[in-house]
Amino acid sequence: MSKKHTNIFLLTLAVVIAISIFVSWLRYDPVQDFTTSVPGLDNRPKAGNEAVDEVNIGENFKFYIEHTSNLTGKWTQFRGGEFDNISKGKIKLVDKIGPKPKIMWQHDLGEGHAAPVVYNGKVYLLDYDEVKKADALRCFSLESGEEIWKRSYKVHVKRNHGMSRTIPAINDKYLVSMGPRCHVMCVNPESGDFLWGLDLVKEYQSEIPFWYTGQCPTIDNNVAIIAPGGRALLIGIDCETGKVLWETPNPNGWKMSHSSVMPMVLDGKRMWVYAAVGGICGISAEGNDLGQMLWKTKDFSPSVVAPSPLIFGDGKIFMTAGYGAGGALFQVKKIGQNYQVETLQKYKPKDGMASEQQTPIIYNGRMFTILPKDAGAMRNQFVCADPDDCKKILWTSGKTDRFGLGPYLIADGKFFILKDNGELTIARASTEKFELLDKVKLIDGHDAWGPMVITDGRLLMRDSKHMLCIDLRAN
Amino acid sequence: MEKKGKKDRRDFINTCFRFAAGASLVGVTGVLAHKTISGNTLWQIDTTKCTQCGRCATSCVVTPSAVKCIHVYDMCGYCDLCGGYLRPNVKNITTGAENQLCPTGAIKRKYIEDPFFEYEIIEDLCIGCGKCVKGCGAFGNGSLQLQVSHDICVNCNQCAIARDCPSDAFSRVPADEPYKFSGFKKEKKG
Repeated sequence: MSKKHTNIFLLTLAVVIAISIFVSWLRYDPVQDFTTSVPGLDNRPKAGNEAVDEVNIGENFKFYIEHTSNLTGKWTQFRGGEFDNISKGKIKLVDKIGPKPKIMWQHDLGEGHAAPVVYNGKVYLLDYDEVKKADALRCFSLESGEEIWKRSYKVHVKRNHGMSRTIPAINDKYLVSMGPRCHVMCVNPESGDFLWGLDLVKEYQSEIPFWYTGQCPTIDNNVAIIAPGGRALLIGIDCETGKVLWETPNPNGWKMSHSSVMPMVLDGKRMWVYAAVGGICGISAEGNDLGQMLWKTKDFSPSVVAPSPLIFGDGKIFMTAGYGAGGALFQVKKIGQNYQVETLQKYKPKDGMASEQQTPIIYNGRMFTILPKDAGAMRNQFVCADPDDCKKILWTSGKTDRFGLGPYLIADGKFFILKDNGELTIARASTEKFELLDKVKLIDGHDAWGPMVITDGRLLMRDSKHMLCIDLRAN
Repeated sequence: MEKKGKKDRRDFINTCFRFAAGASLVGVTGVLAHKTISGNTLWQIDTTKCTQCGRCATSCVVTPSAVKCIHVYDMCGYCDLCGGYLRPNVKNITTGAENQLCPTGAIKRKYIEDPFFEYEIIEDLCIGCGKCVKGCGAFGNGSLQLQVSHDICVNCNQCAIARDCPSDAFSRVPADEPYKFSGFKKEKKG
């Protein structure tokens, strides 16, 4: 072979090799082993495929004992009669419980966080009966703890960080409850007679929130106020007949949250404030525009909302939520015939007042709460702030007094703060500093998150499986 | 005149040296015996001290880090809205990449039954950044925890992460109890 042919051959070979390498390079996919993360990889079934079980609300009733009482104390709904979580009783309470708390009675409950209301010596609680798999509205004597009656209905509820988690609403004639799967029931509080029931999922296409609903109903002039989400954002139900008197349309498809509806009066106008999953709104509670939405904001819309709106009285509304949402302060104003809402503050949990589950308290011009776990160095501390500047923490309970997701209330000028494990802290209700009075372990429990009640000198508290009544009277 | 029974300086120094030699021998024997009885030690994280600062992912001499997230299933709530899997405030709870907290997609989520989901850590993808651990601890039961994976750890004399750890969460543990996670069962979970 001549030198010329050899050169041509080598050149051709080089070209072929180069082309092969180029083609290989072109064909090589460096991300061929990557998998794409797209929705649906968890095999979640499509919505609407769940089997719907028939629930006959209020179907069972048991009467146990006759009961009369001279007690007149009332705690009529979530956060008490005035929605402020402050007990108005005149009975002097102890500063220190001491090593031996006076536990008057105790009951085993279904796992959950539901809390009672109290009316004239009777305690009402919507429990979940884990054996019979039923929502059970139970009535107890406040003095003795004896069960007076129980009205229940079968409904399948799976364990999911507790089962029950709502508080009924009561007045002289009606007792309204809402079960974990959004079954509303109204009974006569004296006799336990069933009056009416409403399945919000069936009637309003409500979507049950994560871990079941925590929304507590309220009664206003014998009208039950409920926020279904779904087909209607808010409804008013005549407690006498169960007839829906008015509905607020829900064009944006906002969903039911764990938050409860709170009343507000602005320039003499009564309205309901509701923090749905999707946004916060004000809905007329009176007049010709009853049930109509007066204002709304989407400026604070986390996917989980447990605390309820905190109304300051001057059109200011504080809203907070957990899971990193933080807090927000809104100002609602009436301009002409319309209402406008302005966001004054909005921040992450480490930057100001925030709460994951419990609703803060307003007392003597100051706001109090327990900061959530993601609040940085002040996490889980009981803190005080000026409502005009929710980002400015005035004082905290300090590093040695940290709490969890448990409840807190004010009675007889004292804070009563419950830790997840059943430890109760009593502190002076001061706006100046955290002044510890006593700390006592009342129950060896866990997840003590259900709101507390103090009335007639008795404290009603619970952990995930037990309810206790403790005598707090000083004399 | 020399006092009877009094040691001279030479005897005193001799006695001291003998005692020192004896004590050294006993000491060395004791240390060796202790090491023989207690066996080797390994580096591990105390989950109660860990603050998920993220340095485990960057300080380890092994790449990716020998620190991995483990899942203590006994403590898990099997939540749909999982603070360890999902970014805070996600609008849609799906497996879409935009909703996931893990930067490497190392957590696999599987539907069990309404409303429960199981979460599994893919160890090969985990870089030990601790983002999921922080999320789970803040919003859930704390079932996701950081631990040194002894299949990967080269057990340096001076652990580079231990040196950088701001919360002093690293310590040596006996080789027969190599994990220190919180939970009900003391065995490593995948």
